[in-house]
Amino acid sequence: MKDKIGIVVGIGIAAAVIVTLYFYVQNAGNLELNEIFPIGIVSIIVVSVLYILWDRIKNIKKGLPAQDERLKLTNYKACYYGFIASIWSAVGAPLISGIFFDYELEGHYVTAVVVLFGGLTFIISYLYLAWKGK
Amino acid sequence: MKTRIKELRARYDLTQEDLARKIGVRRETILFIEKGKYNPSLKLAHDIAKALQTTIDDLFMFEDE
Repeated sequence: MKDKIGIVVGIGIAAAVIVTLYFYVQNAGNLELNEIFPIGIVSIIVVSVLYILWDRIKNIKKGLPAQDERLKLTNYKACYYGFIASIWSAVGAPLISGIFFDYELEGHYVTAVVVLFGGLTFIISYLYLAWKGK
Repeated sequence: MKTRIKELRARYDLTQEDLARKIGVRRETILFIEKGKYNPSLKLAHDIAKALQTTIDDLFMFEDE
């Protein structure tokens, strides 16, 4: 039951993000590269989450658990990598922006970089670790 | 670490999915344990051994590195 609730909530959140992205792109007019880049990262994260949810649904239909001890460990490891990536991106993004682009990154951009980079690292780590089995 | 899971599965005519369903894990977990890519917890090792009617000692062979 807990797995099913998790899947329903996950699908709801993914749908909300897709709808938000759709309306953002519809109303944004001509998108610039600095806008396309975060949209691309969010799209990668949403597609990966949908894949993970589909995989869990497939397992539940077969009478197998959505998550077992190996996937829980994978989840913890991926969370750890995502957390480290978030911390370093909070430090690195303003530095890289200042050094290479001579532009002082505003606070809300740093927050966006932290969330997107942490999320991307989490999802890539999760998929890689789940695929490798370690 | 080497295991005899594959051999014992064949003896009892069980697929990876059958064994996974019996002990309540995903099929990939059985696959990775068989390949030696994942070290199961003591509880999972015990459950696998019980499902295959053997002991943990008989099922898993640890090699000194």
